[in-house]
Amino acid sequence: MSVQVESATLPATSPAARRRRVFSVVLRDFYVMRRSVMRVLEIVYWPTIEVLIWGYLSVFLQARRVPAVVAALLGGVLLWQVLFRSQTEVSIAFLEDIWSRNLLNVFVSPLTAGEYLAGIIVFGALKLVVNVLLMAGLALALYGFGITRLGLALVPFMALLLLMGWALAIVTIGVILRFGQGAEVIAWALAFAFQPFSAVFYPVTVLPPLMRAIAHAVPASYVFEGMRSVLAGHGLHWSTLGAAALLDLLYVAGALWFFARMLHRVRASGGLSRFGE
Amino acid sequence: MPTSIPGPVLEARDLVKRFGSVTAVDGVSLSVGAGEVVGLLGPNGAGKTTTLHMLLGLVTPDGGSVRLFGEDLASHRVAALSRVNFAAGYVHLPGRLHVEENLTAFAYMYGLRHPRRRVEEMIELFDLGGLRKRQFRYLSSGQQTRVQLAKALLNDPRLLVLDEPTASLDPDAGDRIRELLLRLARDSGRAMLITSHNMLEIERMTDRIHFLSAGRIVATGTAGELAESYGAADLEEVFLRVARG
Repeated sequence: MSVQVESATLPATSPAARRRRVFSVVLRDFYVMRRSVMRVLEIVYWPTIEVLIWGYLSVFLQARRVPAVVAALLGGVLLWQVLFRSQTEVSIAFLEDIWSRNLLNVFVSPLTAGEYLAGIIVFGALKLVVNVLLMAGLALALYGFGITRLGLALVPFMALLLLMGWALAIVTIGVILRFGQGAEVIAWALAFAFQPFSAVFYPVTVLPPLMRAIAHAVPASYVFEGMRSVLAGHGLHWSTLGAAALLDLLYVAGALWFFARMLHRVRASGGLSRFGE
Repeated sequence: MPTSIPGPVLEARDLVKRFGSVTAVDGVSLSVGAGEVVGLLGPNGAGKTTTLHMLLGLVTPDGGSVRLFGEDLASHRVAALSRVNFAAGYVHLPGRLHVEENLTAFAYMYGLRHPRRRVEEMIELFDLGGLRKRQFRYLSSGQQTRVQLAKALLNDPRLLVLDEPTASLDPDAGDRIRELLLRLARDSGRAMLITSHNMLEIERMTDRIHFLSAGRIVATGTAGELAESYGAADLEEVFLRVARG
């Protein structure tokens, strides 16, 4: 009689094992957040500060009869947070592994680079939901600005900004892999490099020709232009959102290619080993 | 999945790694059979850690090949690494996480069928019950090593790779860990590849030793065979002779 002994692990390449590995990253990031008062406070602190500063500035300008400024500025602040937070949350989740000198444990496990990215993106997205809900609630309570004023357009706006933020985060991780922990400042800085070209608080048309050309290559600029159009009652131009979606796909594909190149390079140069030192 | 593997668990052939003009590993070939404990010895900079990191896929070799469980590591990475695990004195676990949280996260990462049950088994095996709610960063070196070994055994690996696992431990804690590892090797028949600067540890634990110097394997054998071939009293004397050329 033969006895079938059940293996302790699921077949490594099975979908169930892949899901479990992605979940492990989400779970780990949740534990890290739960154990850090600062990480929990961050969810509340920055969104609150942003809404207060920009909200009251908008109210002040409105009082000076600058038309429709509250909605445009607050809408800009809220949607910018989607882009900025989606980039920083994912980048910081990766940095946590470097700071805790745990990265080698991750890379010698069966977790693939794609599963790792998926895990930190899922957790970053969950935190972002809390973030945006909080800001939207504050904007409604303090200034009577309801984010739902954007209607159904909010869905593609957020999706497009999330994709761009994740693409920037993947590039950030690639840069940190390549250049080491000294490059970690990019986790907070990269999104801001795109802000002048994203038309967050002003239309693309105010930019000089060269900057305008660059802005047309930034998916976020179409979103913020679209947001102002919707708030002004001019409706949504789906063709411009289509262009933004195409650009986003290019950004994500480029980011994944860059990340894969950097990972290949640090494995070849021995740079990955040095994250254990 | 079969638990016994015909042929070597690990087979590395002619591994070469260069960092710029420095050849860190120069034609290293080694194998580890099922249930075998193999030691990798050598002075600092001999290429031990680089060799281990190539065997684990952290560093891509410039030449040679690594086969785990009979399959090429580069093309069967996920399946191979699900049956291997690793612990090293220089690699930590997330410091803010509790012992139990750390083990649970890694249990899922290794795709265990029953993660929570396995974590409990490891907590019991490594006597971590009183520490399960303690953050990793507040544990003593000996306790941290026990947690790292518990993590390294979560997936019941067929090959356990240990890079100086007892480096930061006092003699008593080091001895306890060695006893535990020996018991685990004997009872389960798992293969182990271990590096250490502690000659007594290597002598006690290993079935076979590879001596590395300047990126090459310069001697292979049991502790007794090596001592005899070098006309030395013990492994420490062999080490000194190899290290000093």
